[in-house]
Order: sequence, then C-alpha cells, then structure tokens
Amino acid sequence: MRYLGKKLITLIMTLFLVSAAVFLAFQIIPGDVVTSILGTEATPEMEAKLREELGLTEPPVKQYFHWIGGILRGDLGVSYRYSRNMNEMMPVAELIGDKLPVTLWLAAFSFVLILLISLPLGVIWAKSANPALDAVLGVLTQASMAIPSFFLGILVTYLFGIVLHFFVPGGYVSYEKDFPAFLGYLFFPALSVAIPKIAMTARFLRNSMLTQMGADYVRTAYGKGCTRRRVMYGHVLRNALMPVVTFLGMIVAEIVAGSIVIEQVFGLPGIGRLLVSSVNNRDFPVVEILILYITFVVILVYFLVDILYRVIDPRISEK
Amino acid sequence: MKPGRKKQNPYLIAGMAMTGSAAGLGLLGAFWTPFGTTAMSAAERFQAPSLRHLFGTDNFGRDLFSRVMQGMGTTICISLLVVLFSAFFGILLGALTGYFGGVFDEAVMRVIDAVNGFPSILLALVMISLLGNGRQNLILSLGIVFTPSYVRIVRSEYVKLRDADYIMRARLMGVGKLRILFVHILPNVLPVLGVSLVIGLNNAILAESGMSYLGIGVQPPDASLGNMLSDAQGFLQSAPWYALIPGLAIVWIVLGFSLFGEGLRRLGE
Amino acid sequence: MIRVENLSVAFDGPEVVKNVTLEFHDGEILGVVGESGSGKSVTALTLMGLVADNARVTSGRILFDGQVLLEAGKPRDRGLYRRYQGEKMSMVFQEPMTSLNPTQRVGLQVDEVLRLHTSLSPRERKEKVLESFRAAGLSEEERIYASYPHQLSGGMRQRVMIAMAVILHPRLIVADEPTTALDVTVQNQIIRLLKSINEKENNAMLFITHDLNLAKRICGRIAVMKDGCVVEQGTAEQIFLHPRQEYTRRLIQAVPGRVKKNRSLEERREPGESLGEPVAEVRNLSVYYRESGNSLFDRKKHRCVVQNADFEIRQGESLGLVGESGCGKTSLAKAILGMNRDVEGKILHHTLRPQMIFQDPYSSLNPAGTVGWLLMEPLRAQSAREGARPMTKEDMKEAAYQMLRRVGLEDSYFHRKPSQLSGGQRQRVSIAQALITKPGLIVADEPLSALDVTIQAQIMELMQGLQQELGLSYLFISHDINVVYRMCDRIMVMRQGKIIEIGDTEEVFREPREEYTRQLLAES
Repeated sequence: MRYLGKKLITLIMTLFLVSAAVFLAFQIIPGDVVTSILGTEATPEMEAKLREELGLTEPPVKQYFHWIGGILRGDLGVSYRYSRNMNEMMPVAELIGDKLPVTLWLAAFSFVLILLISLPLGVIWAKSANPALDAVLGVLTQASMAIPSFFLGILVTYLFGIVLHFFVPGGYVSYEKDFPAFLGYLFFPALSVAIPKIAMTARFLRNSMLTQMGADYVRTAYGKGCTRRRVMYGHVLRNALMPVVTFLGMIVAEIVAGSIVIEQVFGLPGIGRLLVSSVNNRDFPVVEILILYITFVVILVYFLVDILYRVIDPRISEK
Repeated sequence: MKPGRKKQNPYLIAGMAMTGSAAGLGLLGAFWTPFGTTAMSAAERFQAPSLRHLFGTDNFGRDLFSRVMQGMGTTICISLLVVLFSAFFGILLGALTGYFGGVFDEAVMRVIDAVNGFPSILLALVMISLLGNGRQNLILSLGIVFTPSYVRIVRSEYVKLRDADYIMRARLMGVGKLRILFVHILPNVLPVLGVSLVIGLNNAILAESGMSYLGIGVQPPDASLGNMLSDAQGFLQSAPWYALIPGLAIVWIVLGFSLFGEGLRRLGE
Repeated sequence: MIRVENLSVAFDGPEVVKNVTLEFHDGEILGVVGESGSGKSVTALTLMGLVADNARVTSGRILFDGQVLLEAGKPRDRGLYRRYQGEKMSMVFQEPMTSLNPTQRVGLQVDEVLRLHTSLSPRERKEKVLESFRAAGLSEEERIYASYPHQLSGGMRQRVMIAMAVILHPRLIVADEPTTALDVTVQNQIIRLLKSINEKENNAMLFITHDLNLAKRICGRIAVMKDGCVVEQGTAEQIFLHPRQEYTRRLIQAVPGRVKKNRSLEERREPGESLGEPVAEVRNLSVYYRESGNSLFDRKKHRCVVQNADFEIRQGESLGLVGESGCGKTSLAKAILGMNRDVEGKILHHTLRPQMIFQDPYSSLNPAGTVGWLLMEPLRAQSAREGARPMTKEDMKEAAYQMLRRVGLEDSYFHRKPSQLSGGQRQRVSIAQALITKPGLIVADEPLSALDVTIQAQIMELMQGLQQELGLSYLFISHDINVVYRMCDRIMVMRQGKIIEIGDTEEVFREPREEYTRQLLAES
C-alpha cells in the first residue's frame, strides 16, 4: 500500500512537471500569437483587446497557474484557429469532446486484437518444433514490422475496401448514432494499427518462452517426470509472460501513436487528425491540451502495468 | 571459430543487397533521373507502369520512377543524419551519466524515462510544432526524439562495465578518466550499439516517412516517399500503383535494414 | 541393479562421453570426479534422461533394475523415462536458485512430484511434503512451504531441492556439484545431510564433483573422468593411496592438501636478517558501505562492513585472508587498494601503488584489447602521470614481451585477444598485467577458484616463483583453507567484518584460538 501511495505521488508530480514543461516550451516559441490570429492588418486596439481576452498580459507564472487551474476546473482554454461564430473563439473542450471517444475506442479495439491474436500465436510459435512454420512466422512477422502503419492502412483499404468490398473507404458512422456500426467501421483501422504490434508481441513472447525453456528450473521440472505440456503451461508460461507485461505497456503508447496516423488514413474524426491539423496551423492551446491528455493516458498505463507486475511477480511484491 | 562451423549469413547478404540497391538509386537520383522529378505532362497523367514509365505516372503526369529515386535518397539521407545526430549525443550523454552516476545522471534519466515511454512520432510532432516545418527542423526534432533511446542503451552498458573487473583494474593502474571512458569502455559498447544503430535507422525511416505522410516533414514539390503516399491516397481506386509503389519502396528499405541488422547480430554471436 | 554400460554420447561434434561404464550399489555413494569439460555432467544428465535434445547416444545402454532405459541407436522413450524420473531416480543440481521455479511457492514445487506419481489427497500430499522438509533438516516447514525461492537462503534452497529428490524414496539420487554454489559451513551441512540420507534410505547415489577432497569425504567408490573417459575407478582408498594412472596422481597432487607447503618466510630468510619491513600498514580501519535507496523517498543507509582492522603486510610475505562470503574480505581488499573512499582509519603504503589479481580471469581482461595492449596500458598510464619517467613505445613493448615470457607465455601471444586464451592463460596475462609496473604488493582475490585443479597448481607455482624472484608481498584472499595453507606465511580470519584471529599459518592451523576458526578448519 505504501508503495502504491509513493507511485501515485510520483504520477501526479510527473504530470505536473510535464504540464510545466509543455507550457514553458510553448512560451518560448518565436512568433506572436495575436498577430498570427488577427493577421498583420489588425489595429493596435484590436490586438490589445485580444491580448487581454487571452490573458496574455499577465506574467508567465500567473498565466501558467491560470491555465492549470482552468484545466482542473474543466476549462481547457480556447482555440486560436477555430471559432464558434464571428465573435467567439471555439473552446478546446468542445473541440476535443466528441473526437476523444473515437481515438480511445480505436486504441482499445486494437489492444484487444493484439492480446487475442499475439499471445496464442506466440505460444504456438514457441512450442512448434516445425521448421517450416517457424520460418513462415519468422518472415511474416519480420515483414509486418517493416510496413509503416500508414502504408498498412492504405493496403488494408485497397485490399478489403476496394478489391473485396468488405467496407466503404472513407465511410464512417458516429458512435452516438449507431454504436455497433461504429465499431464495425473501426475494425479495419484497428487491424491496421494492430498488425505490426501483433507481430512484435508474438515474437517477443516466443523469444521469452524460448529463453525460459533453457532455464535450470525447466530441467528440474523434467527431472520430476513432468510432460512437455505440463512444463510449458505449468512453469514456463508464467515466467515468460512477465517481461511481456512490460512490453505490452510500451505497446499501448505505440498504439496511441499508431492511431494518430491511422485516423488520417481512414479519415476518422479522432484527436489524431485534430492534433496534426493543429500542429500545421500552429494552434497551440489545442496542441498543449492534447499532449497533456496523451501524456496522462500513457503515464496511467505505465502505472497500471507496474501494479500488475507486482501482482504477478512474487519477487518484486516482497521487497 | 572453427572453419567448418562458419555458417552462411543469408540475412547479411540479402540486407546488403536491398539497402545497397535503394541507397544506390537514391544517390543516383540526387544527380540524374530519367524524367526529372517535377516535370509534368498533362498528356501522361495516371499512366500504369510500362516500359517507358517503369513505375507509371502520377496525377500531374510526373514519372514515378524518378520521384521514387529522389524520395528514397531523401528518406535515407534524412534518416542517416538523424541517427548520426542521436547516436553522437547518445554516446556522449550515456557515457557520462552511466560512468559517473550521481545527481546529473538521476536528472537526465528522469527526463529520458519520461521521454522514452512516449511514442516517438508524437514527440516529433510536438518538436515540429515548436520549431516549425522544414527539412532541417525535421532532422533536428527526430534527432532529439531518438537521442534518449541511445542514451539509455549506452548508459546501461556503461553502468554494467564501470564495475567490471578490467575497468576496476584500469582505475588501479591510474588510467585517466577520459581514456577509461572512450578507450577502455567504448570499444566494448560498440557491438551492442551497432545493432541498435541499424534498428534506429529503421525507426528513423518509419518516422520520417510517417511525418512526411502527415504533411509535416518534407514539403512538396520535393518528393519523399511519405508525401507521395499521401498524395496518392485519393486515387487509390483509379491508380492503385501510385500508392503501392512508394509504399513498397519504404518496405523495401526498412526490410533491407532489418535483415542487415539481423545479419550483424548473428555475425556478432 | 542400475548400470551405465559402455555409454558414449555426442552432440553435434565428436563424442564428449566415451565408453563410460558405471555401476550403482544400494547404500553406496559413487563419486565421479573430473575437471570441467570431462563429461561428468553429460553422463549424469544422460542417465537421468535430461540431456539436451541434440545429444546422440552412440554406444552402450542404461539399465535400471532389468529395464533398459536407453540404448544406442534408439530414440529416448520419454514416456518410459517419466515413470522413473522423480519416483525411482531424482537429481539435485548445482544452482539451487535457478533450479527452482522463481514464481512458484517451493511447497507446491515439491508437491508436484507427488501429484505426478501418486494418487494421494491434497491434505496427505501436504503432510508428506512437510515431512520431507523436516527430513531435509528444514525447521519452520509451514513457512517454507509457502515461500518463494528468493525468500530462502542458498542452503535452505538446496535443502528444498533435496527434499524434492528424496520425497518418494528413489532408488537412485544424482547430485551434480550440489555444494559448489554454497558457503563452506553450509557446504558441510549439505554433505552431512546427503550422507545421512544415503545411510538411512540405503539407496544408490551418484555424487559429481570437481573437488577430490570432497569426494574423499563422502564417497565409497570413485571414478575419475578425463576427456569423456573414465580413466580410473575403485574404492576411495585405492584411488587415494594407490592411484594407478598418472592423471589421477596429478589430480591428487594438485589438490592442496595439508601436506605440501612452500618454505615459510623464516626459512627463506637469511640468518641474522630481521623480519621484513612492512609494505603496507592498516591502522584501525573501518569500511562503510552506502546502500543507495531505490527511490527518492528511501533514506540512504550506511553500513559498516569492516570494523577496526589493524594489521600490516610485510615485505616478501603472503598474508592469507579467509572467511565466508559476505564477511567483508573484498571490501577490506578494495579499501587497501584505495578503491573505496568510504573509510575511517589509516592505510599506509610504503611501495608503489598495489595492484590486484581477480577471481574471474574472463572478466578481468578487457576483451577489446590484445594481450600486448593490455600489458602496455599500465606502463602508458604510469608514464603519463606527473613526475614519472616517460617511457618510449619501444621500451614498453620490450617490457611487455619480457613480462610475457616471465609468466610462461610465448611471444606469439602478444597479438592475441583474451577471448582466444584458456582460463589458465588468461590468469597468467592477468598476473603479468598486475606485475608489469613492479608494485610491491599484490592483492589476489580468490585467484584460483575459477580454475581447474591442475591449472590451480600451475598458477600457484607461478605466483610463488614470482614472489621469490621479485620479493613481492601478497594479500591472498581465499575461501579455500587448503590453498591458503599452502600459499601463505601468515593467516588472518575474518568474520562479520571483524578480524578475529591473525597469526603464523602453522600456529593457527595447529592451535586455533577461536572456535570459529576451528570450525572453518575442521570443515575443509
């Protein structure tokens, strides 16, 4: 329990530090926000008014706490680029709101696919004494790791969408309208995110199992009269899965990144596309919030992995 | 090694052939291409691959083979620079933090842990949004993004080796610190680093093409494999080769480098 | 009757076990003694049906009470073997830590033997496991039942392994170097335990070791193996008193028994010459160890690992330092070398900076350099220091070649890399590297224990020869009392960070003042 508390404090501190770093980074970038919003033809009065509105006249430290305080209260600031109407800037919260679930569902869907396919595949691969299967899986995983995710997305679109007509490229149903259909549309994007990760995870699990199969305790188990099957599932698998848990934690971060690109390929309205367009438009408030948000997810996942690790590995939980 | 046991290394040979052909074409593309990379021809739009246009043409009638040549060159060149940048700072920081430890190490590692857990393409996006678009900024931001992984690898080797008996011995002899760091330890780190350099190169290629695909890397009209793909995506139905060819070019390079890396690893064993 | 008949085993290359015949009798411990690579472990693993899959039995067979378990030319029948493994034959391995599954409670691991071979109820099984723990000398059985391997000490883990091996009262127990990974005092308990089990159960036991002394103490019969062959077999008495083979004789002589000893310092000293001047004085030295906390929140701990050490090392003598692992030997050595700054007290050196010879010849030479580079590097460092006489590259090369010859290596080794050398050759290079700057004092930390016995003898000879030639002093750290007896003029006993006894080797061996010393001596 004490450990949990410590970890939680570290988690919060990290978030705080990241927020400060992000804020600082966007403070020192060149270029005046106000000119970039209003253009060069704006009058000094207009500029001063906007500056006041955005809270840019205050000292940076105060601005930071203002910003953080706003976030904690749910006020994420306003976008520099998008406006609700002629006189009002678009609040970031509103901009992100309906895009967030799309990305989260996409990431979760791919993660489930990865788990369901890679773990059995890894075990079968490790157990197989068949050199042909070994070679085929070796080549397949190597190849799928070499395909960049966006190209994989395009290949999937071409093959399943255009050639086989399994889905309509560019089609999409909002999760609010029809959730099952929404999930259906997510299947191929999720598969595109998942395929390279499945290859990596299966490979990792297989190597981990092969390493464990050479361990001394395996010899002990055979010495007791265990069958190969019993050695595999009773002794090797649990030990081999431990590093895989950490690996899967890292995979989650990769999935988030993969989703950003894949959204672009399949035209899904998630936060990835928003992030890319905001970076291109230099819409900093949106970028800042999105970065903070993704950081939060990533750190949270690592935190959970850490706890999970403690549950399954007796050697750590004792200390 | 016994002469009879020396196995052939098909990985190394295949890897070298694939990367060699890509780098050769890319290098050639910097000086000469069959049609030029920007020459448009309204009459020759969307030509399928033929003897005249090996890879076909795009929506402006530009020759895809010429553009793939240039694109491969750009991609490989940028990735090499990225890896050089990050490996240099990775070795420097990794050696210093790993060998000396202390507060500096602690601070650097905290930052690196935080950065390392983060998806690299995301970090590069952040860096680009700070620095702005452009080729130099792309190299700089990818270089910074990839540095931590090298720091980590190099550091962990230095941590391992700093207490090795032979390093303790060098200290006992009174060998100077710099000499220990870079003459006694570094050669023993290089084999591990060599393989991860190749992996890093792969990651850099994937990141560069990914960024260019998203429109925040190499800017048109310069050809890069990533931005060609993003242009081509809209014509997937009518001109599938337009998208498939630059994509396969990326796969070709990445696969080549990973085979090469695997070959190196087996060579080291 | 259990017999290994004419067994030959090969992996991908040539045979590593050649025509080995062994016979096991109830109530008798058969020792198989040999150096590393002699094929003793492969023989045992083949007997147990645990040898790697790429092993081929090229001749002979294994008989177990009339049943042929394994025969040349036929594939191993795993199903048949499984009925014997764990029930009729069982094995105790060298590394009890890695031989137990790290993520399973040890009770369940022993329980698995019962689950596989009996149809007892869970309660009966647990009762039987606890009983076997008691039989293996483990008290607090309940706690141990629920422990993971990492929560137990090395000795306890080995007892668990033994409990697992004896729980079904097998006809044959194979113990492969079961004490090598353990401390001396624990070693002895385990040896006694194995012996008493053998007497009580009246089963056959195969005891594999590289240590002839150990074999002498426990085994009824001994087989000596070399290069895959059994070169000699007989009762322990026959082997030790009337060895027929030259190799056996060499092996016995190489074992540092209490018989041979180099001339003591007194004998070597010219009449009238006074006791050697001290080359190093250690005065009231305490050494601390800083445990760094594993997170920001843990406070750093400060632990005293050596308390008030006070002694001197004299010119031309070998001072032995003995004690169990973790008693502070290495910390003391490092402090003397100036490698540990966290000390109180004084260390005075009267000669050039001392050098060190390490235990593991594989990790003490930089794998990236050639032998020549390794030997020149100390000279380069020395002449780069301020006020030193600079040496030309030619001088260094010359000195390196000279040193190489002095440690018994040919000139051609100059351009080799450490990876191309054998363990003994590496240790020679290691010694050469330590001596090339002509230090007065050498700290040798277990310089022999990673080497085979015959090599051990050669290195010991080399070290003694160099000592007399160069007037060196050694601080000789070892856990092997016999080696210390043979090498050292004086001996120092450490326990839990304190030097509890120091005196002339002969005197300490004849009349140890401390109970602990007596125990330590009695056990080897």
